[in-house]
Amino acid sequence: MKIRQDSVLGLFFAITGCIALLIALKYPFGTASRMGPGFFPVVISTLLVATGIGILIRSISASCDPFPAITWKALVMIPAAIIVFCVAIEPLGFLPAVLLLLVLSAATSVKFRLDWKTSAGALLFAGLCTVLFVELIGLPMPVLGIWLQ
Amino acid sequence: MEIFNDFLLGFSTATTSGNLLYCFLGVLLGTAVGVLPGLGPVATISMLLPFTFGLPVDTALIMLAGIFYGSQYGGSTTAILMNLPGEASSVVTTLDGHEMAKQGKAGRALAAAAISSFFAGTVGTLFIAASAPLLAGLALTFGPTEYFSLIVLGLITSMVLASGSLLTAFGMALFGAILGMIGTDVNSGAARFTFDTPNLLDGLNFVVVATGIFGLGDVFANLENERSRSAGVAAVSSLFPTREDWKRMCAPIMRGTGIGVLLGVLPGAGVLLASFSAYALEKKFSRHSTEFGKGAIEGVAAPEAANNAAAQTCFIPMLTLGLPGTATMALMIGALVVQGVQPGPEILTQQPSLFWGLVVSMWLGNLMLLFLNLPLVGVWAKLISVPYHYLFPMICVFVAIGVYSINNSVFDVYMMALFGVLGYFFRKVGAEPAPLILAMILGPMAEEYLRRALLISHGDPSVFLTSPLSLGTLVIAALLLLSIISPRFRKVREEGLQEAD
Repeated sequence: MKIRQDSVLGLFFAITGCIALLIALKYPFGTASRMGPGFFPVVISTLLVATGIGILIRSISASCDPFPAITWKALVMIPAAIIVFCVAIEPLGFLPAVLLLLVLSAATSVKFRLDWKTSAGALLFAGLCTVLFVELIGLPMPVLGIWLQ
Repeated sequence: MEIFNDFLLGFSTATTSGNLLYCFLGVLLGTAVGVLPGLGPVATISMLLPFTFGLPVDTALIMLAGIFYGSQYGGSTTAILMNLPGEASSVVTTLDGHEMAKQGKAGRALAAAAISSFFAGTVGTLFIAASAPLLAGLALTFGPTEYFSLIVLGLITSMVLASGSLLTAFGMALFGAILGMIGTDVNSGAARFTFDTPNLLDGLNFVVVATGIFGLGDVFANLENERSRSAGVAAVSSLFPTREDWKRMCAPIMRGTGIGVLLGVLPGAGVLLASFSAYALEKKFSRHSTEFGKGAIEGVAAPEAANNAAAQTCFIPMLTLGLPGTATMALMIGALVVQGVQPGPEILTQQPSLFWGLVVSMWLGNLMLLFLNLPLVGVWAKLISVPYHYLFPMICVFVAIGVYSINNSVFDVYMMALFGVLGYFFRKVGAEPAPLILAMILGPMAEEYLRRALLISHGDPSVFLTSPLSLGTLVIAALLLLSIISPRFRKVREEGLQEAD
């Protein structure tokens, strides 16, 4: 059996709503005239759970598009590249972090080749970014981090 | 002659050399990023946001506005030359615009788009100048009841206009409202949904979520059909409309502008609605209606005029009520809050130079676009044809730097990556993110106004029905909902949205 779009979305809403509701129930609810911090969250998450269940019911009864195939490569590689950027920006500095993010995310593409031309292009782009963001706009980031100084 | 003085104040703010320069830079950068296929205004603004940090508030707002309509214009250039609409509202432009380009009339289509955009922009700006002070005055008399009902109307409009089912859009809006609640509750000081991390105490930054869903989410989606992606850019020849073009364009531009100006003020998704209605109207009434879809110049001029007029007037609810009507405006509010400005009716009275400076710079920006884009069209065409495998790593870098620079926080960048994945997921299940984005900004406002309204009425919810303005707003919202549930209108909506897909 094919998984339907609606089943996935309905499940997502229902689960998120349940988690939000469980958390929200811990906050003071208050009364209608004096709404506590829990009032609105409880109402909204209850509605979200109901909507999720409604979408799930619809997915069983009505015809619905199947859940399409997912290309995992980009979905894993690019967030990984962004995590590397985040980890690198403090110790290595702005320039190396940008370079790493650029090359790692570019590697996602089927057309990625690491030769002297692309490397030079990446270096040039990272350099331009550094000049633009650190020198011209003045974002408070070190060009080279403490590890490289 | 108060309005004259106001304009003078605006001119003196907008034409300081710094502001003029940043207006120009905003328009230029906005167009340059906006022409890149697959980057709509939301992604463009969020990528270019760091360029406005460190600027004075008025300059930042002027530059942001420049980026916004620059990216709009860039979007229609891509739509005409490449048949790739950057956002839903330029879909209509592809219908006849790209058809004209295929017939070798790309230059004339671009000129028609530029001229109609400029005319509509001028009218839109005048409309803002005339109506915003009135509305802001009115808004000062609004109580929490009226605000709450207006927010409900805005959210319902955005749900009705989202593609896909109403239930899905409703779920997206609720999910967005929950995201908006993350952080410290302004009223009680309770930390809500923070999962005990101090990073979330100030709430989830709106710009981070929008950048993730629109900027990064687009990258994931585009990488999917990397192999099949064709980059056929139509050649641009003569840029001058013929005498017959002028004759055929005039009336559609006027009608399109009228529709755009009025619909743009609507909370929800006025821009999209405006361009579709303008196109539909022209198709119905034009003497050349058989040519529509085969390269009729009216089919470019009218929706482009409507598109741009609405893009101007959708600033009105944001500037006078502090309520965003579209995802783009929600992002603008997010950017203003980063700058320390809370948009609302007070802006006009407390910071008149900010308001009038923005109004005048909108017009100047449109003028610059007219003179910038037609001569530079060759450059834009080159930019469009940059292969995607060179483009997307740069987009990744820009979104990461942009988000990091808001708070110098690595946590924000992780969040952006997470929402990028979520944005891709929403695309896969056919859920449009616009209601989520709007609800994330409007949700907390709705909560605050609801709390205040019920506090005043001692918990009696009937206040929303006894205030005439609130009642009227809710009736419109209810009619909108009914109209979509009734089978006849459902068919119209499905047809309309199908054209958008």
